[in-house]
This record gives sequence, structure tokens and C-alpha cells, in this order.
Amino acid sequence: MTTHTTGTREEWLAARLELLDAEKELTRRGDELARQRQALPWVRIDKAYRFETDVGGATLADLFQGRSQLLVYHFMFGPDYKAGCATCSSIADGFDGIAVHLANHDVAFSVVSRAPLAKLQAYKRRMGWSFPWASSQGGDFNGDFNVSITETQQREGGVEYNYRREPAWQSRDDGGMANSMSGNPVADNAAMAGTDVATYIRERPGMSAFVREDGVIYHAYSTYGRGLDSLWGMYPWLDRAPRGRNETGVWWRRHDEYDKA
Amino acid sequence: MKTNMPSPAKVTSRDEWLAARKALLAKEKALFRELDALRAERRQLPWVRIDKPYVFAGPQGPCTLADLFRGRSQLAVYHFMLTPGSDHVCKGCSYIADHIDGARQHFEHADLAFAAISRAPLGQIEQVRRRMGWSFPWLSSNGTDFNYDFGVSFKPEDIAAGRATYNYGSQTIKSSEDMHGTSIFAKNERGEIFHTYSTYARGDEVLMGAFAWLDLAPKGRNEADGVMSWLRLHDEYEAD
Repeated sequence: MTTHTTGTREEWLAARLELLDAEKELTRRGDELARQRQALPWVRIDKAYRFETDVGGATLADLFQGRSQLLVYHFMFGPDYKAGCATCSSIADGFDGIAVHLANHDVAFSVVSRAPLAKLQAYKRRMGWSFPWASSQGGDFNGDFNVSITETQQREGGVEYNYRREPAWQSRDDGGMANSMSGNPVADNAAMAGTDVATYIRERPGMSAFVREDGVIYHAYSTYGRGLDSLWGMYPWLDRAPRGRNETGVWWRRHDEYDKA
Repeated sequence: MKTNMPSPAKVTSRDEWLAARKALLAKEKALFRELDALRAERRQLPWVRIDKPYVFAGPQGPCTLADLFRGRSQLAVYHFMLTPGSDHVCKGCSYIADHIDGARQHFEHADLAFAAISRAPLGQIEQVRRRMGWSFPWLSSNGTDFNYDFGVSFKPEDIAAGRATYNYGSQTIKSSEDMHGTSIFAKNERGEIFHTYSTYARGDEVLMGAFAWLDLAPKGRNEADGVMSWLRLHDEYEAD
């Protein structure tokens, strides 16, 4: 830290103004991409997906809770996990407070995972979250939206994640979002979920957006891997800090598992 | 809860959607890479040493800028708009604040401390904090130069004379004595403190995670009635 270049206020300001132009340009580029996202065609959903929720069995339409749009976070929590994915948990800490704002802007929000509902409920209590969390156990939902794969698919390959076809799985370290990180993020995450690597990566992180019009539901958008980066609440802060993300592997823990400083 | 946005151009097959989605993905990836480059550039900014001894009022008594680091080497300050004597609570700042406690559970373990600072006196701050249920440190800079030095508060005489500018001169302030922003500070082993970065206006938007979600939604931010016109304090929405 001490070796960093220092300058006068005027020198700093000149550098800052140059950076500001670049920041504004990328903000506008982000706006333009959001417009293009809204212009994507929609795909009609005809399959009758079923979920288990806090208020009983639910259809995909029920998850809209009267809104015209539904955003789903695909939280990695497979039936064989001992606890929810710690990395998804750090993302969830960032979005827990926002569902109230979205719900009042015609957007319903739900987290969906493949573990049985009782397991999701217990973990949600432990973490103190309030967002809706539905179980898709036993249905095709996670498979159809490319966030869960079967053991057979894993063994034989050919499934798609993040719009890329994957070869048959061998022990290796390439879990989507994690592949741009140093260290051993997949193994670390598997250990924190109380499972082995193969089981851990049969679930994948993602988000999907749905829209309902005249009683028909359409799939509009899904993103995976680094596409989730903007939803990870701790990063916009670290990205402004002098050391940035400063990562050499998985430093984050569940919020109740950090050493008490 | 009305929606003003049109339906999409077309409903299509999974294959056609996939082709359009993959074309968009390529552009998304290009932007990720440019954002990474921008972040690297931001880390290269020179630092400016802070020599003024700012003292803030906090719930535990007066504290200095150094105290706010709480053992860390980096500090993020959110300049929360709260004008002395006004009962107006900024909706946009509150929207950002709704995201902070969740995020700081993590980034404070990555050597980055956090404090919100407003010009209102501490009693006024505490009232808002209790009402909204936030737990982050929130201090008063009342009676100090802090807010003025970091470009988020403006003297009435400067506003009257048209000399009050915000966001590095991009906006002339016409009436509001307080604006929002984020400033970042670093502290070295010798205890010297440096200002590294400040951002204002739309620069604070990335702190609003709910906007990041809306940017992925079919109808986007859906703000035909005006930017953030739909937004309320989280306890002021009508019950479902």
C-alpha cells in the first residue's frame, strides 16, 4: 500500500476526469446492452412446472405473485448438499433486502433450488433471509434452465452450461463463474457445501427471467457464470477500493462463519 | 404497479432465441472485459494525502477519519443525503442503504471498512437509522468541511452565485444543499490517510443491486414515468 503513487489534488483530478469519461462510456454501454436484452424474443413455456413453497405446492404462474415479470435466482443447493453453496449465499446476502422494491415495481423474485423444501427452509432460517425460496425437486425446471445435470449427463458429457457444450466430466476445476478465479474455488466450495466436487458441480449458478402476458408465460433471459457478477453485492464496493477484489481464491465465507475479528 | 412497456417484437422458438441470446452474450462478455480494464485503471489513480483533521459525531462519541477504518487499510464512505433540520429522507440513498448491510458482511472481511456520513446532526441520523433498521456505522459531519471538501454539500451563497457544481463540474446545483456520492480512502502503516477515489450521480448506480436485477428483466427498469419515480422507502410501500 505504501508504494502507491501519490499526487497533488490537481494531478489526481486530471487522472480522475479521464477515468470519469471512461466510466460514463461504459455506463452508457451497459444501458445499451439492457435495451438489447429487452429486445430479445420470448419463448413460450408450455411445460407445467411444479414447485414446493412455504405456502404449499405452486406452479410457475404462482411464483409471479400477481406481477407480470418473475426473476429467478438458481441457487446451488442439491439434494445431497449438507448446506447451501457458500458462494451463492454471499450473493443472496446482497439481494435479500431488495425483493420488497422489485415486488412494488411489477417484478416478483424467487430463489429456486433442487434440495427438498425442508432443507431450504432450515438453511434460510439459519442465514436469516426473507426472500421466497422454492424447491424444484423432482421436476425438470433446473435441468431445462441448464443449472442442474444428472449423474449420467455428467459422466457422458454433452450438457450445456453458460451456452457452452461440456465434455464428459473428469476431476478438474472449471465450475463456471469460478473459472476466472485463482486458487481452487470449486473444491473449496464443495467442501463448504459438505459434498464432493462431482456432486457439488451437478448444480450450477444462474438467473432466469420470465414474463407473463394474457395468462401465457414466456422465458425471456438467462445468464450464468460471470453474467451474475453484477448481482454480487460485495463487488461494486470492492471494485472501487484501491486494492480491488484482491483475490487469491475463495476468501468469503457464509456470514455466520467468518472468524470473529 | 402499472407497466408501460410494449410486448416484445416476437415470440420465437427455443433455437431462434438461443441464437439471439448467444449474440448478446458475446457483447456482454466484451463489456465484462472492458469493465475489468476500467477497474484496473481505477486502481492506478494517484492518491492524495489528507492532512485536515476531520472529526465526526458518532453514537460512541467523536471519531476521526482514521477511527472509521476500524483496523482495516481501506475505507468506503457513502455520502448519504440528509440535510440538517429537514425531515426529507432521500429515497435513492435509502435504496442504496438497503443493500449495504448485506454486502458489508463480506467486503469488511476483505480489508474494506464502511461508514455512511451525512451533514445532518447525529440525533436526526439516529432517528432515520432506527426507523429503517440499518446497522452500518453512520456519522455526522455537521459543522465540518468534510461534505464540502468531497463535493457533496454546497453553501447557499455558492448555489446562489451559480458556483456550486457536482460530479466534477457536470452538473450545476440549483437548490439542493446536499447530494450523494461515494468516496474511498486508504491508510498506510504509518497511519497516513489518502483519498483515492470519489464518484457521484450515476456512478453510485452499481451500488443499487436491485437495478442490476431490473437490467436483466424483460421490461428493464421500466421507468417511463421518470427515473426512480416508482421507488419508496422500504416501509412506505402499500401492503400486498
